[in-house]
Amino acid sequence: MKLLSDRRALGAIALLVVALLAPLGLGGWEYGLDVLFLIFLYGAMASSWNLLGGFAGQVSFGHAAFLGIGAYTTAILSARGVPLPFAVVASALLAGVFSLLIGVPAFRLRGPYFSIATIGIGEATRLIALNWTGLTGGASGLTLAEAPTIHVQYYAALALCVVAVLFSVWTKWSRFGLALAAVRQDPDAAETLGVHTTLAKINALFASACLIGAAGSLYAVHYLFVSPDSVFGFSTSIAFVIMPIIGGIGTIAGPIVGAAVYTFIREQFAATLANADLLAFGLLLIAIVVFEPRGIAGIAKRAQRAISKRTEKAAPDAG
Amino acid sequence: MVFAETLVSALLVAGLYAAMSYGLALIYGVLKIINLANAGFLMLGAYITWWLFTTYHLDPRLAPLLIVPAFFFIGWGLERTLVRRVLGSEPIISLLLLFGVWLVLQNLAYVIWTGDTRSIENAFVESSVTVGGLQVAWPRIYVFVAGALTLVALQLFLTRTYLGRAIRATAQDRDAARLAGIDVDRVMGIAFGIGIALGGFAGSLLSLIFSFTPDFGRALSLKSFCIVVLGGLDSIVGVAFGSLALALAEAFGVRFMAASLQNLISFVLLVVVLVVLPKGIAGAIRSVRR
Amino acid sequence: MPDSVLRGRGLTKRFGGLTAVSDVDIDVVRGEILGLIGPNGAGKSTLFRLISGVMKPSAGTIELLGKPMTGKSPNAICVAGIAFTHQIVRPLRELSVRENVSVGAAFGRSPRASHAEVHRIVDDVLRFIGLADRADAEARSLTLSGQKRLEIARALATDPAVLLLDEVLAGLNPTETDRTLELIREVRDRGVTIVMVEHNLRAVRSLCSRIVVLVEGHKIVEGAPDAVLSDQRVVDAYLGSAAHA
Repeated sequence: MKLLSDRRALGAIALLVVALLAPLGLGGWEYGLDVLFLIFLYGAMASSWNLLGGFAGQVSFGHAAFLGIGAYTTAILSARGVPLPFAVVASALLAGVFSLLIGVPAFRLRGPYFSIATIGIGEATRLIALNWTGLTGGASGLTLAEAPTIHVQYYAALALCVVAVLFSVWTKWSRFGLALAAVRQDPDAAETLGVHTTLAKINALFASACLIGAAGSLYAVHYLFVSPDSVFGFSTSIAFVIMPIIGGIGTIAGPIVGAAVYTFIREQFAATLANADLLAFGLLLIAIVVFEPRGIAGIAKRAQRAISKRTEKAAPDAG
Repeated sequence: MVFAETLVSALLVAGLYAAMSYGLALIYGVLKIINLANAGFLMLGAYITWWLFTTYHLDPRLAPLLIVPAFFFIGWGLERTLVRRVLGSEPIISLLLLFGVWLVLQNLAYVIWTGDTRSIENAFVESSVTVGGLQVAWPRIYVFVAGALTLVALQLFLTRTYLGRAIRATAQDRDAARLAGIDVDRVMGIAFGIGIALGGFAGSLLSLIFSFTPDFGRALSLKSFCIVVLGGLDSIVGVAFGSLALALAEAFGVRFMAASLQNLISFVLLVVVLVVLPKGIAGAIRSVRR
Repeated sequence: MPDSVLRGRGLTKRFGGLTAVSDVDIDVVRGEILGLIGPNGAGKSTLFRLISGVMKPSAGTIELLGKPMTGKSPNAICVAGIAFTHQIVRPLRELSVRENVSVGAAFGRSPRASHAEVHRIVDDVLRFIGLADRADAEARSLTLSGQKRLEIARALATDPAVLLLDEVLAGLNPTETDRTLELIREVRDRGVTIVMVEHNLRAVRSLCSRIVVLVEGHKIVEGAPDAVLSDQRVVDAYLGSAAHA
C-alpha cells in the first residue's frame, strides 16, 4: 500500500515536471499550449466540483454560478485597473461569499432536492447577470482590455490545478475528508456520531466555490470576454458534472483525467458538428452511470486487479 | 379589469403547467426517482408535433394520437433497459442517468433539427376569442382544457382500474404491494412509460403556444419541479394545486418586477417551499388536519 | 437524584393527533444499566430519538450532567456525551470498519485531530469489541451481528457519558446474544452509563440494575427488575398486547 501511494506520488511529480517544461517543448505552437491551458483550467474546475460532488456526495448542477461570479469580478475589476493577482483573489473570495449565502438555505435540502435547487441557483445567477445591465453589460457581456501572455496564463492555470489537487489530497486523508465521506454515505448516521454535517457541507462548498471563482478569473483573462451565456450558461454547469464523472467521481486523479478527455472530445467535435460533443457526453454519462459509476478510475482499478491476478497465477509457474 | 385579466391568464397557464408536471409526479410517486429527462421529452413532443405538421401536414391537435403510444413504449423500454439497473443505488445515480438521457435527447435534437427556433403556424394556433372584452387565444383554452381533462382521466385511471390501483399501491408501499401479489416490476415499467407519455403529450400541447429550440423545456422543467414539490411530490391532485399556486405567483409577481425576471419566481418559490415546507403544500395541509 | 447523569422532565412527543411519548420523567444514574421496556409502539424508540436529538420534543426538557440539551442538534448532543446505536443498523456502508469507528473517534465527545490519536482510540475500540481482524473490510460486508457490534464500536469511540442501545440483541442467535450481553457489561465497567431498549426480558433481568416501563407513551412503573417484572400492571400490559396481537 505504501509503495503504491509512493509510486502514485512519483507519477504525479513526473507529470508535473513535464507540465512545467511543456511550454519549452511546444515552442511557438500556440494551439497546443492553448489546449494544455484548458486542460489545467478545466482540471482545476472539475477537481473543485469534486470536493463537494464527489467527496461529500452533493451533486451540483449549478456550479457555473461560481465560475461566472469569478469571471465577472475579474472583468469588472480589470476595467478599473486592478492588477490581475488581486483580481484573482477577489474573484475567489466573492464566489466563496456567494456560496455561503446560498449554501445555508440550500443545504437544508437533501440529496436530489439539493441537486434540483442548484439548477435553479445556476439559472437565477444567469438571469441576474443578464438583467443587471449597469454592472454586467447585460446580454452583450463585458470585454477585457489586455491579457497576460499565454505563458503566464498557462502557469497560472497549472498552479491553480495543482492547488486544487493538493487540497483534494489533503481533504481525502484529513478529518474534514472523513466527515465528508460520512456525509456522503449516511448523513443521519454521521450526525449521530458527532459530525456537524451542515458545516462540513458548507466548508466543502466554500472551498469549491473559491477555487472555481479563481478559475473564472483565469477564464476571463484567457477569452478576454465574459457573457451570461458563456460563463453562467447551463452547458458550463453540465461540464462541471461531466468531467469528474467521466474520470471517476470522488477520486483524486479522476477529475483531471476527465477534464483531459472532456477537452479532447470537445476539440475533436468543435470543428465538425455543433452539439455532437454534448451528445457524446450524454451517452458516455449514461454508460458510466449504468456500467461503471467510478468512471475511468473504476475501469483502471479493474484492469489493475485483473493484471495482478494474472501475475499471481503466473508466479508459481515462473518460480 | 386588470385583475380579472391576470386571474384568467393565470388559470389558463395553470392548466398548461399541470399538463407538463403530471408525468413527473407519477414517476416520482411510483419509482421514487426524479425524472430529470422530463425536459427532453417535453421538447421531443413539441418537435415531433412540428415535424409531423410540416412534413405530413398532420393537424397538431392529432399528433398526440401517435406521440402518446410511441412515448409510452420509449419510456417503458427506458425503464426496462436502464432505469431499472440503478433503482437500488443512491438517488443521485438515477438523477445522473436521467440527466444523461436528457443530454442525449437535447443534443440529438440539435443535430437533427439544428438550434433554429421553430413554431407551428396555422389558423387554429392564431385564432382567438373575445369574452367580455378579454381576448384569449384559442390554443391556450385548448391546452387548459386538455390539461384539466388529463387530470380527470388520470384520477379515474388511478382509482377505478386494476392497473391504476396497482400503481397507487406500489407508490404507497412497494413491499406491501409485492406481498399483495402485484407484479411491482411490471407496474414500475408501465408507470414510467405513462410518465414519459404524459411528458410527450404535454410537449405536443406546448408546441401550440410556444416557439421552441432543442433547449426548450429546461426553464419549464424547473417550474415543473417547483410545482411537484409544491404539490407534495406524488399527488396528482397536488400537482393541479401546485400549478395554480405557481401560475398565480408568477402572474401577480410579474407586476412588481421586470418580465424577464419572471422565471426567477419559480426558482425562489421552489427554494422557499423546499426549505420551509419540505413536504409541500399538500403535506402541510395533511399534517395540520391531523 | 444527586448522581443523575441524564435527566428528562415532562418529555412529550406528538405526531399530529397521536401522542407517542406523554409527559415522561426519566433519571439515569451514573454507572447503571437502565432497561427501558414496554410493548410494541409504547414509545421507547421515540423516547430515544428525543434524547439523542434526532427528534425535537413537543414539550419537556433534557439535561446531561446538569447542562440543557433540549432542542440541540444530534451532533451537538453526541459531542456533549450521549451516543446511541440505531435499532436498524446504519453503517457507513462503503467505508471500512476502521473508517466507521474513526468518524466517532474524530468527532465525538473528545474529538481528536491527530491521526495518531484517532488511530490509537480506534485500535483500542476495535480490539475491545472484537472487530480488529475485520478493520479493513467494507462495513456492508459484515454480518448482521458484526454490523451491530460496529454500531456499538462507533458509539463507544465517541467517548460517551451515556450510551443508548436500541434493541442491540434483536436478530442475534443465542451465542451472539450471550457475547453481546458480556460486551455490554464490559462497556459499563469502562465507566459508561447505559440505557437500553430491549424486548428480551431475560437479558433485561440479568443485565439491568433498574427498569422503566413505558405503555402507550406513559411511564407506568420504574424500579428494580424483579419487582417491576412481577408488577401486575406490567404483566397486564404485556398480556394485553399479546392478546391484541
